[in-house]
Amino acid sequence: MPLLKIDGKEIEIKSGTTVLQAAEANGIEIPYYCYHPALEIVGSCRMCLVQVEGMPKLQVSCNTFVSDVSSDRKVDGKYDMVVHTQNDLVVQERKNILEFLLLNHPLDCSVCDQAGECYLQDYSFKFGNAHSRFDENKRVRPNEFLGSQIVINHNRCIMCSQCVRFTQEISGTSELFVEARGYNSKIAVLEDNPLDNLLAGNVADICPVGALLSTDYIHKNRIWNLKKQPSVCQDCSVGCNVDVFSQTDQILRLTARENLDVNGYFMCDIGRYGFHRYEEIDRVLQPMVRKGDSFVSADWETAIQKTIDLIKKNKSNTAGIVSPFHTNESNFLLGQIFKDVLGSLPPITGEEITYPSGFRISADRSPNTRGMNDICEGIVEDLASKIKTQDIRTLFILDDGVDRKLDDKWKKIIGKMDSVIVLSYAMTDLAKLAHVVLPGHAPLEREGTITNDKGRIQWLRPSLPVKVESKPDWEILMLVRNALDKKTEHFVELGEVMKKMGEKFENYAGITFFKVGNQGYSINGKSS
Amino acid sequence: MNTFKPVLTEHIDQKDCHTLSFYKSIGGYTALEKVLTMNPDHVTQEVKDSNLRGRGGAGFSTGMKWGFIPKDSNKPKYLINNADESEPGTFKDRLLMNKAPHQMLEGMIIAAYAIGCHTSFIYIRGEFYQEYKLLEQTIAEAYDNNILGQNILGSNYSLDVVIHRGAGAYICGEETGLLESLEGKRGWPRIKPPFPAIEGYLQSPTIVNNVETLSCLPHIINRGASWFKSIGPEKGPGPRLFCISGSVNNPGVFEEPMGVSLKDLIFDRAGGIPDDKQLKAVFPGGSSSAILTANEAMDVMMDFEELVEKGSMLGSAGIIVMDETVNMVQACLNIARFYAHESCGQCTPCREGTSWLVMMLTRLINGGGKPGDIDMLFEIADNIGGLIDFSKGSFGKTICPFGEAVAWPVRSFVEKFKGEFMEYLPQEKVVA
Repeated sequence: MPLLKIDGKEIEIKSGTTVLQAAEANGIEIPYYCYHPALEIVGSCRMCLVQVEGMPKLQVSCNTFVSDVSSDRKVDGKYDMVVHTQNDLVVQERKNILEFLLLNHPLDCSVCDQAGECYLQDYSFKFGNAHSRFDENKRVRPNEFLGSQIVINHNRCIMCSQCVRFTQEISGTSELFVEARGYNSKIAVLEDNPLDNLLAGNVADICPVGALLSTDYIHKNRIWNLKKQPSVCQDCSVGCNVDVFSQTDQILRLTARENLDVNGYFMCDIGRYGFHRYEEIDRVLQPMVRKGDSFVSADWETAIQKTIDLIKKNKSNTAGIVSPFHTNESNFLLGQIFKDVLGSLPPITGEEITYPSGFRISADRSPNTRGMNDICEGIVEDLASKIKTQDIRTLFILDDGVDRKLDDKWKKIIGKMDSVIVLSYAMTDLAKLAHVVLPGHAPLEREGTITNDKGRIQWLRPSLPVKVESKPDWEILMLVRNALDKKTEHFVELGEVMKKMGEKFENYAGITFFKVGNQGYSINGKSS
Repeated sequence: MNTFKPVLTEHIDQKDCHTLSFYKSIGGYTALEKVLTMNPDHVTQEVKDSNLRGRGGAGFSTGMKWGFIPKDSNKPKYLINNADESEPGTFKDRLLMNKAPHQMLEGMIIAAYAIGCHTSFIYIRGEFYQEYKLLEQTIAEAYDNNILGQNILGSNYSLDVVIHRGAGAYICGEETGLLESLEGKRGWPRIKPPFPAIEGYLQSPTIVNNVETLSCLPHIINRGASWFKSIGPEKGPGPRLFCISGSVNNPGVFEEPMGVSLKDLIFDRAGGIPDDKQLKAVFPGGSSSAILTANEAMDVMMDFEELVEKGSMLGSAGIIVMDETVNMVQACLNIARFYAHESCGQCTPCREGTSWLVMMLTRLINGGGKPGDIDMLFEIADNIGGLIDFSKGSFGKTICPFGEAVAWPVRSFVEKFKGEFMEYLPQEKVVA
């Protein structure tokens, strides 16, 4: 392995590593704009220049590879490369580059959405000059829409070209290009080919400055007011890792979070903007019990008692319906209660899309089909016929939520039941048919694990506070389970459910939130 | 005094000198016949031994460049003839294409043979329409006479030549910008490594050579490396086409041995300065080279090494002569404007810095000069190209040499004619 000396620190590093990667891995900060680990190296921003001993010019660290050199070329007889990232020459060069980048920048941080997470701000603060020496007129251009959801502020653009490379290399759609030349260069689209692919939102994420903006978030808030919660997207079975940004009980945006085993650095716009569909829904925040054609609210004790009564009336003719939208823990508990007949409603699907880079949007638009099947034994294939042949009279349903549209067939089946208990967060089509509605958590409030279609268990973390009297789904199911059978164990926390689940299913043995962590855990025992 | 007999341009005054029949009548394609019986490595060695250095601007050893082509690569190899002559003050390749296209083509086939290339391109400047049409004829003639195509001149060697017209960008004359353009992409130079000889056109080993460089090859093969090396300085020998323009009585292209004196070129070949005006400054190697003052110019040999010693370069050997009436601030702005216009916009310093220079110089000329402007001009030039102080170890801050190409001349103007720039600054008022 080559031996690199960087700022006096000796590092043994794999051959073929770049100086930038080596520095990053060893806690040495080298600033950069145009480099992105998922994109081709262009080395054009010149921000990451460092001094490499024996080289006449400063070198861009993003494209300087460390490799073994012959013994006669080693520096001081042992180093394959000696790099300085903090010496006067490099420090001055960073100032120079930042000066160039800021020449035409409007310095409008006070109204810029990137403020607080802007590399132009951060690097100027850390490495730049305090004053501008530019005495000429700034280049001013109007904002433009690049697509229906992406707007560009040309004045803030530093031409790092990450967005252009993204549409060429990741989405493969090539809508963005650089127009004109030199000082007049700007990011542009053709009128008849706007940036409207399903990965478009990522360009706002990767833009290191405030040039590319999502219209969905523009001027909504300041980033430092928002709480950032790492979680997992629940809009398809890929399970992209995301950060959820919220203020009090409102979500403002989702951004992709790096996970090389799942989504790389990106996410699709279905997931990115999906949270809006929970905003204007008819939430159920108290237990509801049917009275004639309408519902009355009830306290939890009454609602659980009512549930038990309904189930006990037809215990042997009761079926449980699990849901690929719910966590492993909730599905597990429901499966434990209704061992005889267990099924799920028809899958919710969309178009399967795989991009040239391998980024995938799954046809299965539910997050946890794999987990549901893993930890529920004996899920019947054709639930509708099973209901008929087994003369099922009572259904306990984990509601799929607002995405579930009930077709006439299922409306009829459910309508015929003696009793229907629905655990849901909203007055969905399904909940409207229920005799008891137990108010659970909405998708972005839930906690637990879900398993993506490649067998990776991921930690779904609550991004919003609990509302009114709703309870975690697993807790409601545990209450039902305990009420039905006083002898079953009482779980005080989710970890205990996970432990129990692990005892039953080998693949899930030993799973804890700690083990799953921010990057997930593959049940295949290898990265997937 | 002038005993040198032109090599590349010997026959350009003769009728129909561009035709195949004429070229054959003066011994054309005999070098190719010879080469086709040689081992390609021996061809490379011969060129290496001749010390031929690239005529495009950088002056890199041609034989050494060919030697970088990996021997074990299974990929196709490409030879590209860089005919995108765009350097201000340079018009020699155009002459060679017009008057001796078969000489250039023979050189191309020799180079292609040496590196094992079977498809070669001529990347010709878009504005050279007449030359483009002529080269199409040249190539058609060559195909008709088995000089191109399958089994050239009955040998086992085959080669196709394709002409590709550029679209008018200066930067596409830079070899990696050219490659991007040839691939149909935006002409943004590539970051190196990898170098074109390893991964060039379509990620395959590629050699890019200039028209004049290639035109030298038939003569090296016919007359031998030692003959070539005997012309001019040993480290950078051979005949060279000098383009002289600006304030001279007789501008044009003059073929002279390397190392000829600049004084002779200006006052003898180009007939001196009109109306007996005084010489003020000279670009010795295209607009990208640092200018020389009259004193420096009167005492310099046109040789790679010597011009570097003088803080400039031979570049494309495009000599632009400025007489005493030239306003150096205006001239500097003119140069800066050219580079600001042609900057590809990829790297930060060049994209932003070139226009900054233009804005400052324009302000200066329009009477808006401020104290400190001159220091700023130096600093901006340094921050773009930053090659000036070799002792500091820092020069070249951009992907391609364009940054140096603007910093060098601009800095030389301000440094060597500082007084003229000072005149544009506000004069301190003397209070009586």
